[in-house]
Amino acid sequence: MSNAAVAARRNRWSHGLGQNAGFALALVLLAASIVVYCAIYFIAQRRLPGGFELTTTVNNTMPLVFAGVGQAIVVITRGIDLSIGGVIDLTNAIAALYLGDSLLSMAGCSLLVLLVGAACGLFNGLLVTYGRVQPILVTLATLAIFQGLAIRVLPSPGGQVPSEFTAVFANIEAPWSLVYIAIVIGFWFCFRRTSLGVGLYAIGNDELAAQAHAVNVIRTRVAAYVLSGVFAAVAGLFMAASSTSGDALTGNGYTLRSIVAVVLGGVNLFGGRGTPVGAIVGAFISVMIVNILFFAQIDPLYQSFFEGLFLVVAVLASGGVGHFIRARA
Amino acid sequence: MAAIDQTPEGGAGRAPTTRFSVTQDQRRILYAIAAAIVLFAAGGLIRPGFASLKSVEAVLTVACFVGIVAAGQTFVILIGGIDLSVPWTLNAGAILMMSSAASSNARMPLALALTLGMGAVVGLCNGIGIAMFGVPAVVMTLAMNGMLEGLTLGLSGGLTCPTCAAYAPSVLQAVAHGSVLGVPAILWLWLAIILVATFVLSFTIFGRATYAIGNNSRASFLAGINVTRTTIILYVLSGTFSSLAGIMLLGFGGQASLGIGDPYLFQSIAAAVIGGVYIAGGRGHYIGAVAGAVSLVALVSVLMALNMPEYGRSITYGVIILLLLLLYGRESSEG
Repeated sequence: MSNAAVAARRNRWSHGLGQNAGFALALVLLAASIVVYCAIYFIAQRRLPGGFELTTTVNNTMPLVFAGVGQAIVVITRGIDLSIGGVIDLTNAIAALYLGDSLLSMAGCSLLVLLVGAACGLFNGLLVTYGRVQPILVTLATLAIFQGLAIRVLPSPGGQVPSEFTAVFANIEAPWSLVYIAIVIGFWFCFRRTSLGVGLYAIGNDELAAQAHAVNVIRTRVAAYVLSGVFAAVAGLFMAASSTSGDALTGNGYTLRSIVAVVLGGVNLFGGRGTPVGAIVGAFISVMIVNILFFAQIDPLYQSFFEGLFLVVAVLASGGVGHFIRARA
Repeated sequence: MAAIDQTPEGGAGRAPTTRFSVTQDQRRILYAIAAAIVLFAAGGLIRPGFASLKSVEAVLTVACFVGIVAAGQTFVILIGGIDLSVPWTLNAGAILMMSSAASSNARMPLALALTLGMGAVVGLCNGIGIAMFGVPAVVMTLAMNGMLEGLTLGLSGGLTCPTCAAYAPSVLQAVAHGSVLGVPAILWLWLAIILVATFVLSFTIFGRATYAIGNNSRASFLAGINVTRTTIILYVLSGTFSSLAGIMLLGFGGQASLGIGDPYLFQSIAAAVIGGVYIAGGRGHYIGAVAGAVSLVALVSVLMALNMPEYGRSITYGVIILLLLLLYGRESSEG
């Protein structure tokens, strides 16, 4: 801590950049991917992408934004949540099955879905803390459980989502979903300053030291998993809204994609560094990569090759840049 | 399952206790073996004939594929790593073997070398990224899995290439289905792998170095162990084992398809952990992972014998793995 304080006095800006190299690089990557996207789009379509492209991109990214934010919160505590895909499956299935046409039903069902997400997270959190089993193992096992429950709820794709619900959460006319991102960022800036938010970083950096400074490690850790479950549930709701139906397998890819978003967003997988805002940026980067590949007319079969390649390059670059800045500062 | 509660948990760790003269690690292996036996017994009660020699042989044959992937997974978990690139290394291996041999026995040796070499190169890339460039193992192997998926799909045109309709060479199929001295040939191969892996881990300098790195990689480095080289070799082994499992699955099934590797990630990690391999590294034996693989496959077979629908199997599977983890996968409380 004292070293950090001295360095901060010496050169606050440079130090801040060194500490947040991952996030800064994520912003640069996002800007670069948007520029490349616009250029390739212009070559292919002879005009710049407009409101429609913006709206579809934002709507496509929303589930990953929420999954990434949830994953980031757990990763900051030096954990990992592999069950996110299962929670999305389950909540998506419940939403598609029970959402009714009336306002009361929509509100009630959304609340139910969030509670289910929280319950899933609580289950994970209790097993990690009181069960003292490694997070990666707990969430690998609960992933199988949640996926099974999802198929039990909705054996075959179907269900129905009222169009009013879609209009609110995945409006296809205008990028209203950006409002939800603003809400999440606002939530995070408040939450970050609560004792719980500080505790997340404290236990991610050094659990014993955090405990010595009266951080309630168990409560904080459980809270992280509960938040992850709730955010995964929101992702499930958004997917139900944008596809207007449900599928108990739809969330499976999101476990890995959320980790990719977190890593691209500059959150350190060993805990204690990075922010969920970075994961939001990371989510947009990974969707932009897919968009670029599409307009560059690269065979979609190669898509995951480029995603994987980009992930390694981004991690190497953020490590290299962070090291370079810190060495100079 | 009741047998598991008999021995009290000693916090003494690896030191052999005079009373039982089994270490905590050995006890965990015994639990995994006990779990397999209990499952076979339970299966025998549910459906007569489940515990017959023929059905045990069938379970062992299926477990063999999990077990071989778990060999590589155990190696990298022992140094505190993990290999998430298993599914598509295996799948790419099966497809590469199938399309390069193109149903011809004459081309088989070359195809075999090519496929195993591909697995080794994948492991080499993983190892170099992790050991030399400091990329976290989760990220490196996850990205590698994605790259292999893209390459496999793209190069084979989504499995529509001219040689993608080929069958496994008949020799390979004969080996996979054949038996020697009344025991399936692939079980002999597995036995050989078990013996070699156990020997290497327990009785060689390389094995000692593996455990040392898993316990404390910095201390191992300072003690003169070549951490980088050992790490890379272990990932190369993991990649090679995955591609070997792909070749054997191809021989067993006759043709490769997309997605055949997917179940093996979860199962290989679960087998290692059930068998007492500590996920943070430094503790465990391959023989435990073998017992873990057998109990996993036995569990799935029991659930299928119960005619349980897919969702029920998935839930029960998760719950039982959680119970096993809670019984003995726990970290010591002083952490």
